[in-house]
Amino acid sequence: MTRNDTRKADDSDEQRTDGSGPAVSEPTTRPDATSDSLLDDSFDVTSGSLSGDADAVLETRNLDVFYDGVQALQDVTIEIPENGVTALIGPSGCGKSTFLRCINRMNDLIDAARVEGELRFEGKNVYDDDVDPVALRRKIGMVFQSPNPFPKSIRDNVAFGLEVQDKAGDVDETVHRALERAALLDEVEDQLDSSGLDLSGGQQQRLCIARAIAPDPDVLLMDEPASALDPIATSKIEDLIEDLAEEYTVIIVTHNMQQAARISDKTAVFLTGGELVEFDDTDKIFENPEHDRVEDYITGKFG
Amino acid sequence: MATTDESTGTWFGADGQVSQLRGLLFKAGCLGATLLALFLVFVFLVYVAIDAIEPGTADPAWWATVATTVAGPAIVLSIYYYRFAPRAGEVAYTALGLPVAATLLAGGVSIVFRHIVSPHEWLALVVASLVAYGALEFHGRARDAGALERVVVGAAVIGLTIVGVPGLVPSLRTLLLSLPVLPMAPLALLGTFVVPIGVGAGWSVRRARESDRAGLIAGGVTVAAAAIGAVAGPVVGVSWTTWLVLTTVVGVPVGLYVERVYRGGKGVSGLALPVALAAGVVVCAVIVETAGFAGPDVWIDWEFLTSAHNRTPREAGIYPALVGSVMMIIVVALAAFPVGVGAAIYLEEYAPTSGLSGSIVELIEINIANLAGVPSVVYGLLGLALFVKVGELRPGIVIVGGLTVSLLILPIIIISAQEAIRAVPDSQRRAAYGIGATRWQTVRTVVLPRAMPGIMTGTILALGRAIGETAPLLMVGVAAVVRISPRSFFGLFSAMPRQLYSWAQLAKPDFYHGVLAAGVLVLLVVLLMMNGTAILLRNKYQRRD
Ligand SMILES: Nc1ncnc2c1ncn2[C@@H]1O[C@H](COP(=O)(O)OP(=O)(O)OP(=O)(O)O)[C@@H](O)[C@H]1O
Ligand SMILES: [Mg+2]
Repeated sequence: MTRNDTRKADDSDEQRTDGSGPAVSEPTTRPDATSDSLLDDSFDVTSGSLSGDADAVLETRNLDVFYDGVQALQDVTIEIPENGVTALIGPSGCGKSTFLRCINRMNDLIDAARVEGELRFEGKNVYDDDVDPVALRRKIGMVFQSPNPFPKSIRDNVAFGLEVQDKAGDVDETVHRALERAALLDEVEDQLDSSGLDLSGGQQQRLCIARAIAPDPDVLLMDEPASALDPIATSKIEDLIEDLAEEYTVIIVTHNMQQAARISDKTAVFLTGGELVEFDDTDKIFENPEHDRVEDYITGKFG
Repeated sequence: MATTDESTGTWFGADGQVSQLRGLLFKAGCLGATLLALFLVFVFLVYVAIDAIEPGTADPAWWATVATTVAGPAIVLSIYYYRFAPRAGEVAYTALGLPVAATLLAGGVSIVFRHIVSPHEWLALVVASLVAYGALEFHGRARDAGALERVVVGAAVIGLTIVGVPGLVPSLRTLLLSLPVLPMAPLALLGTFVVPIGVGAGWSVRRARESDRAGLIAGGVTVAAAAIGAVAGPVVGVSWTTWLVLTTVVGVPVGLYVERVYRGGKGVSGLALPVALAAGVVVCAVIVETAGFAGPDVWIDWEFLTSAHNRTPREAGIYPALVGSVMMIIVVALAAFPVGVGAAIYLEEYAPTSGLSGSIVELIEINIANLAGVPSVVYGLLGLALFVKVGELRPGIVIVGGLTVSLLILPIIIISAQEAIRAVPDSQRRAAYGIGATRWQTVRTVVLPRAMPGIMTGTILALGRAIGETAPLLMVGVAAVVRISPRSFFGLFSAMPRQLYSWAQLAKPDFYHGVLAAGVLVLLVVLLMMNGTAILLRNKYQRRD
């Protein structure tokens, strides 16, 4: 489970503490060439890994988010490596979902939200004017905190992404594979034409996972994907996440410490007020965290 | 101690602890208001019905016959259903209501085929649409075209087949119409109206029964029943075309419903009610005929429905006004629905919500709500200025009346469609955006399908308002009396409320009692049908959520 990361463990933390003063959204430096794929209409999955620049696929600098002037994320600076699983943990209301929504610009849909700072995906600041959020979201799939299947058939639910993204290929085959990976196929194989709303809550959640992975995104954001699942389905989803992490970058929010410890390579701990307190290898966070507050949170003394 | 018992006794449920009086008074007041409202409406309906039917003119023996052959059995059956078989009761009411509703619909369809789209025009339209569909499908399969190309090809195909370029290129549709030999009108309908419905019926039975044979039988029976009208129609005294419309519009839904009840096996005995009623009517007619009992001198009869206004009240009818109303409603629906729903979609999904432009949008929305309350006379003036003065259209023609009334119901449609769109949960939009759908894709595939039942309900209710509007029609010069139905949307017309208004002003009491009451009943039935459809739609989709 432990991935060997070459980068200095404290890197991110240092940067955070170094970046003193209020965050200003500086005009960003010219992004490197690979990021241009975001502007393209063709969404090439194999956009090529970054040259040089470590292996961070996502990196934020001094990211602040305000909802109607109330700050929900404070000065978050983080570098999320390509492939592997990054867990986001922290007490309720500390801004984990907000952070996820920043990554694929779902915050654009919230009128009250204002994002400042910089968030680079494959080296390109996604908040630049020339970035098309729709194209971005086609590369970054998302599973929401509460299941939200469409009132369509199970098949159409899973095929939705393929349809809107105009992906060619054998739709039925892709649907089956996505359902299988989401550990749902066995239960729904002979009712693919019945409504996705007729499923149980846990099944709906897996349906949403299948829907998110069907179009084959580069990054998968999961907001508590296992919150409504029984232990068996949970372990299947965890298997899926590990499986996906071979090729994809998975960022998962969880309230379950064991789960974070089990499946993630890196863990980010947010604490109340929306600050990123510590970001490090999961083993380090759980065995020997730098900050007392993190230790308190993990051991349940603080929540 | 005894006091504990006593104290608990006073604590739990003792009277006078909480004052109930005000609540009781309030409840009684509300009940009174409800009863008063119901009573007033009921009195009005009875008053109109008595005027239209004139029950006093009938032989008491006639009433006795009706009571024993029709009403009696129906009441006995209803009590039986109510007491012993509620499920059958539901079936009974549906089985009774469906043929009635379908017959009214068939009347509407007949009017459309007689006055608006002739069978040949329908044939040409269907064939041209099929060709267009085939061409588009072929293009889609043959080439992996981009969005722009698809739009261009789509426009070109539709232009060539259906619309045509005025003065330059005739469309396939007009070419077909100018063919020297066209099939007979009923044959054209058999091929392009009955066959598609038969295929639909067969397909639905095939799916329900999971049997190809059953599907084939259902489809075959539909087409055969329509086809034998060539011989059977004249025998019973209706034209083949009328027969076709009746067998498909009435026969198919009733047949499908009966088939479903039998297949489900629940409440089959409910089917007895319509059968008993029909048998009762036949028996009653035979008895009345042989014994010579005089029936009431009803104003609302077949002749009233099918003839034009006349100076003798007994011969006056509502037909041209009925046709005029149908044509006007078609104009209203075609004009107001796309504009209203389009505006609602823009306001809900696209319009800015913050900043200066957001405030402007909010102001506009408030004003739309105000427009819904503007008196209809004012809309009449607006229509007169807009379409007659500026648009230079002839006053009093169908299109002017229809467009004016569309203006009137536009705000209502916008508001109800906005409401329906707003009721789509945001989580659905988020799900779509999160997977990389564009705004247009989200609106088309997620928001609109979900909001459509609500939009339809609001639109139908608004159309119900439109069909009863009188003042705007007076303002745009709709004729008081029209003896022939309008031949096109640019012809002079009268609508039902306008006709009622002119009857109310005639000096002969027979007009403002009998004829007027009959007309009111017809208008109310049409309204009731439209509102009933809206309610059915709403209930059907409410249950699903
Ligand atoms: N749409 C919104 N409008 C206004 N404030 C919001 C909105 N969404 C979140 N917030 C605020 O931002 C803060 C962070 O919320 P967020 O949903 O990111 O928390 P979270 O860490 O995901 O919590 P949980 O674990 O309960 O899901 C909260 O204080 C919340 O009140
Ligand atoms: Mg959350």
